Amino acid sequence: MSICQDLGLNFQHRMGANISQLERDIGSEQFPPNEHYFGLVNFGNTCYSNSVLQALYFCRPFREKVLEYKAKNKRTKETLLTCLADLFYSIATQKKKVGSIAPKKFIARLRKEKEEFDNYMQQDAHEFLNFLINHINEIILAERNQSTLKVQKNASGENVTCNGTAPQNAEPTWVHEIFQGTLTSETRCLNCETVSSKDEHFFDLQVDVGQNTSITHCLKCFSDTETLCNDNKFKCDNCSSYQEAQKRMRVKKLPLILALHLKRFKYMEQYNRHIKVSHRVVFPLELRLFNTHFPLQSDDAVNPDRLYDLVAVVVHCGSGPNRGHYISIVKSHGFWLLFDDDMVDKIDASAIEDFYGLTSDIQKSSETGYILFYQSRDASC
Amino acid sequence: MAVQSDSGGKDDVKTQFVTREGTYRLMTLSEYSRPNRVGYTSGSGSSHVRVSLVSLPPGPGGGAPGSDGQGSDDRICFNHGKELYVYVYRGVKKGMSLYYTLPRQAADLTKPVDKKMYKGTNPTCHDFNTVTMTPDSVSLVIGFSTGQIQLIDPIKKELSKLYNEERLIDKTRVTCIKWVPGSSNLFITAHASGQLYVYNEELTCGTTAPHYQLFKQGDGYSIHTCRTKSTRNPLYRWLIGAEGSCINEFAFSPCGTNLAVVSQDGFLRVFHYDTMELIGRARSYFGGFLCVCWSPDGKYVVVGGEDDLVTVWSFSERRVVARGQGHRSWVSVVAFDPYVVSFSEPESEEGVEDDRQKSETVQCYRLGSVSQDTQLCLWDLTEDVLKPPVRARASAHLSPNSQTFSPNGVPGMKAPAPKGAKTNKIGHKHAELSGSNAAGEPSGTKQTKAKVNNVSTLNISVGKAKEETSGSLGVNSLTQRLAGFSFGERRSEHRRNFSLTSKPAEQKSSASISVALRGKSAGASTTESYDPLKLIGTASCPRFDECPVLEPLVCKKVAHERLTALLFRAEYLLTACADGCVNTWARPARALNGDARAPRRLDRIDLVD
Repeated sequence: MSICQDLGLNFQHRMGANISQLERDIGSEQFPPNEHYFGLVNFGNTCYSNSVLQALYFCRPFREKVLEYKAKNKRTKETLLTCLADLFYSIATQKKKVGSIAPKKFIARLRKEKEEFDNYMQQDAHEFLNFLINHINEIILAERNQSTLKVQKNASGENVTCNGTAPQNAEPTWVHEIFQGTLTSETRCLNCETVSSKDEHFFDLQVDVGQNTSITHCLKCFSDTETLCNDNKFKCDNCSSYQEAQKRMRVKKLPLILALHLKRFKYMEQYNRHIKVSHRVVFPLELRLFNTHFPLQSDDAVNPDRLYDLVAVVVHCGSGPNRGHYISIVKSHGFWLLFDDDMVDKIDASAIEDFYGLTSDIQKSSETGYILFYQSRDASC
Repeated sequence: MAVQSDSGGKDDVKTQFVTREGTYRLMTLSEYSRPNRVGYTSGSGSSHVRVSLVSLPPGPGGGAPGSDGQGSDDRICFNHGKELYVYVYRGVKKGMSLYYTLPRQAADLTKPVDKKMYKGTNPTCHDFNTVTMTPDSVSLVIGFSTGQIQLIDPIKKELSKLYNEERLIDKTRVTCIKWVPGSSNLFITAHASGQLYVYNEELTCGTTAPHYQLFKQGDGYSIHTCRTKSTRNPLYRWLIGAEGSCINEFAFSPCGTNLAVVSQDGFLRVFHYDTMELIGRARSYFGGFLCVCWSPDGKYVVVGGEDDLVTVWSFSERRVVARGQGHRSWVSVVAFDPYVVSFSEPESEEGVEDDRQKSETVQCYRLGSVSQDTQLCLWDLTEDVLKPPVRARASAHLSPNSQTFSPNGVPGMKAPAPKGAKTNKIGHKHAELSGSNAAGEPSGTKQTKAKVNNVSTLNISVGKAKEETSGSLGVNSLTQRLAGFSFGERRSEHRRNFSLTSKPAEQKSSASISVALRGKSAGASTTESYDPLKLIGTASCPRFDECPVLEPLVCKKVAHERLTALLFRAEYLLTACADGCVNTWARPARALNGDARAPRRLDRIDLVD
């Protein structure tokens, strides 16, 4: 476990040399106006948070909503969302174009909010992302309920159309609008042939990875037809019993920002721990989904042809889930930047292939794409 | 400690696979790689191993120099990392009837014909000149990761010229390099910067960065010449697509008339090479297009890319006619197998009573593709998929003049193919090369000739061009048959043109097509008409469920590393992968019995749409 490098010593040095290098690399004429590239200081293995925060900051619809929230909520009690909003606001209003910033308040709040993060251990970036998105959403819902409760006490507007995990209000929050998609799973009982379908909401899709595949393929496998049998039989309402069944999934509603989590940490029984799967999984800069509709069925998918652009990638570096380092690469105004805690570098788009993974299983350590953020091109931002 | 994947990534590497024509077998003794290759390495990162193969004309004394008594006129060139190798290639010897009697000894990797090791740069692509080659000399152009180009003779070893040596012309990686078909001295390079350059190997490059002047401009591309008193390299610069959008590959049509270019911006663009007109384009479903090839008769262009698909584009109809889905990752090479083509005479068509088959033959193309997924896929492209839907025929009379039709909204489209001009043009090229001023601009007079619509000339020249480019590997009888066949099919080709207009019957698609056409008539250039959000649902990029989806005939894992090369020859096919290993696969024994033709007419039943 590497507590991320001798911070104190390197820090000043980096501030001086590296950051002005970034401005040189971009060029003063090319430097986008009103854009700031600020690294985030590591407080001892907080790179899981830093990398995700940077990725989210460069998901433009998300950033704008967070800044909007900041503008609207001047004096509220401190939540993780207000800390995030303060952090984003602080980056967006810096005088300098590049530099680094210490997300001290945010980390402190995070450690209060969730026990699991209240230590100096390396955490899983996806767990953090999942927690953050859901938590923010809950904060918004709670605040909304508070304000609506005051207005009309007995609002009966609860809907139970779908049994998603997140508590649903009739009106989606901006977190829903940005990240939420809908999956439909369709199950056909092999006994009575009755087809039942069920909708589920998601904030990100978690996909298994295969060696020498593409994210497209991993997503396709995700919706492959699966036969439920043996211990995993399907409880058919029509037959009133457990039956063998076929299940398939598709994406019914595509989100504005599609977050894809590559399941690179697999539990291995023989080692009694999680092992990193460094398989080479290529991800294109542009993506459409194939599994947005079932063949031979009327197509009620929303925007099935949505074209996505890769905007950010959280990269895991190292050999295992509880060791190593997280960095992120983001696209901003047409060029790519690499955020490694407090360091920011401009990289060539062709360097992205370094983060696809390894074709051999010999090397243990790898720098691999772990969470991919694709933003819909029709999101006019 | 290997992590066992349960997703099939660890499938065994196949050493044979079966198609209906028989069993293809890996020739284990005919494996080429760098000498002393120790086991399995993957340190070289993005090693794009490419293979060039040439059949030298037989010399007077039999074995050519450098063949070391291995008695073959074939030479193979491949690059790996910083290295480039040229070997005598034995492949599968002719005259052998069964695969297992073939290689008596393993390829001797310690005795390359030539071997180059470069410092600070990697060779990325190469091409042999088949026009100027003799039994004991051949010109090989090599492109490098840092933009330079080298010309060598790996056999004579006297020749070595450098182009773009100071990187004044282009600093970016050479992604593809090819001799202009039929030319002794012109070659084309494509760069990651999104530019193509035409070089004359006899000219120098100049000591300062070239100043360009605009020569021609079209929708989404422009062509420039050097502004200098004396002619020098590059003769032309083609700027294609958005700036900095890497050109991944280009390919000349078999007749040498048209140039297909695929780029990272997800577009296939087909140009008439001499007139420099853009005559068609297609858009990937998503992501960049990585590879491109032409069908042996020049009727179809097939592209592969980052959408994991193989996309078939019809030249005559200017539309995407089918997509192949089977690879698990990006498609790195597509190639037609010109030796497995089947066709049937109308009278032998049994059982099928569809009226449209009465007057024409049924045809099936064989296509191969390799991918980063380490798999080789073979595809059958049959007429029933390639043909537009029957219902479209009803409106054929609506569009009597196929030449005015522009489905993709490409402005200034010329005649579909300047067919009659072909033989002419090859002659012209030779003339232009021998002259001292090789810049020979594509003259307007040629264009007028190009409009002569003489189909039979086209067919003859297809066979001829093939003869010139592929060396003497005994392909001609087949290609000529194929060419003759397409002549007979002329009427149906016309019909296809008509049907395209009315093809997408769904209202939404025709709406989007009209959008594209409006864009064209308004002369709106570049950005608008290249917006993939507007192109979805048009002939350039049909929606996924609007276009037939093919399944591969064969899909086999044939390597440990991602595959980067695929070549078809009469008796074998050849694959190469990123660890620098080149493998030869013997065709089924049946096909080796001196008869390289299609084994039999293929059934047309196993295509899924």
